[in-house]
Amino acid sequence: MRRLIFSILALLCLTAESSLAQQHRSHNDYEGWERMIPTHVKGQFAGGMGLLSAGIGWDYGRANQWESEVMVGFLPAKYADNTHITLSLRQLYIPWDVTLSKCFSLEPLSCGLYLNFISGDRFWVRQPSKYPGAHYYTFSSRIRLHACVGQRVQWNIASESLLKSISLYYELSANDLNIISKVTNRELKLSDIVFFSVGVRFQLQR
Amino acid sequence: MKKHIVKYLLIALALCVVYSCVEYHPYDTNIDGEKGLNERNIALIEELCRDCSEIRFAVVSDSQRWYDELKLSIESINAREDIDFVIHAGDIADFGLRTEFEVQRDMLQKLDVPFVCLLGNHDCLGTGEIIFRKMFGDFNFSFTAAKTRFVCLNTNALEFDANDAVPDIGFIEEELQSLPSDIERSVVVMHAYPYCDQFNNEVAEEFHSLVRRFPSIEFCLHGHGHTFRAKDIFEDDIIYYQCPSSGERAYMIFTINEEGYSYEKIDF
Repeated sequence: MRRLIFSILALLCLTAESSLAQQHRSHNDYEGWERMIPTHVKGQFAGGMGLLSAGIGWDYGRANQWESEVMVGFLPAKYADNTHITLSLRQLYIPWDVTLSKCFSLEPLSCGLYLNFISGDRFWVRQPSKYPGAHYYTFSSRIRLHACVGQRVQWNIASESLLKSISLYYELSANDLNIISKVTNRELKLSDIVFFSVGVRFQLQR
Repeated sequence: MKKHIVKYLLIALALCVVYSCVEYHPYDTNIDGEKGLNERNIALIEELCRDCSEIRFAVVSDSQRWYDELKLSIESINAREDIDFVIHAGDIADFGLRTEFEVQRDMLQKLDVPFVCLLGNHDCLGTGEIIFRKMFGDFNFSFTAAKTRFVCLNTNALEFDANDAVPDIGFIEEELQSLPSDIERSVVVMHAYPYCDQFNNEVAEEFHSLVRRFPSIEFCLHGHGHTFRAKDIFEDDIIYYQCPSSGERAYMIFTINEEGYSYEKIDF
């Protein structure tokens, strides 16, 4: 993990020597039914949505500052009772991008929320009927809401191919139950409930 | 501007290094830190209390989502110097999340004396029971301190299927048959108590009749109810002591010696 962070760091130091320029996030908008075509593909390691997850998404807004995406992940049996599949719906807001050089740009902030669903009999949306009363357990073990913040470095590929750019990103995320616990407990440290994830994003163009 | 960005990024990445732990899923069972704690701590307790004529232990229970209060109880126990070991009567986690087990375990490890943990019903949620088994060990276990046998049982029947034996009558019978010969007294510890919503009440009578067969059973201990209570559930002078939750800002202290036992509720 530390080695990975070091590489990201080195990459940033190398690319930070250049100047600010135009928006890199903007791209030709699709029209009509073409809006259904995903604008990006992502792969992610960790982040509460499985060991590895992959998905597709759509960016939109005046500067394409909004991203909605669907991710499917898997959690191998080694890290749980059985192998589980997870499904995540993520909404991100990326307010700025900064040009570092001809090829590289930086998105200093991405933030958002994601809902994660996990497969398996152990988990439930509402408590099973075996429990007495309506509120024996009042939470859902199957659905988690995560909040996340992160940053990205984007490599803009100067070509007319389908692949417009490749970004590396990291995110720090925390889930709803741990956030609730943190609010009422000073002894629960932020570092106890915040987790690190990394991913790669491929921007597509028509 | 550029320099600011670089500085800002470096700070952000340094934070990542600090937080460089990953979570595959809140219910993943990829535990950080120590595992198999009960077995190791039992060896310590048995070693420390082997030749004692008197033992004094604290009972903490239901500390789920009461991290601040659990820390205070640990500080209070550490401030005393007369405690031999600590029993946690279950419900370390509220939701069964890995982080809950890890944080509470790390807090309990700040105790100056060894501790054992029982399985509570909340500890079974999600993959909690798998995490518990890795972190602490078997759901039913026993140990000896100063010729007193402590029999710790999983009684959270509602969290298990009908084919899982909860309480495990077979374990209790085997324990009765294989008791060390020098045992003079017994204490039975559980999380959920007979006739509560979690207990398999069809076997409550059978369970208690087995409990009675332990040599000079002194009393039973349990959690789950969150407030202090001393109740002679089966009206046969065997008291079931309900230990308060950490949220009640209280824990119990029991002293056992040749003359019998005494207890005290400590508020902090």
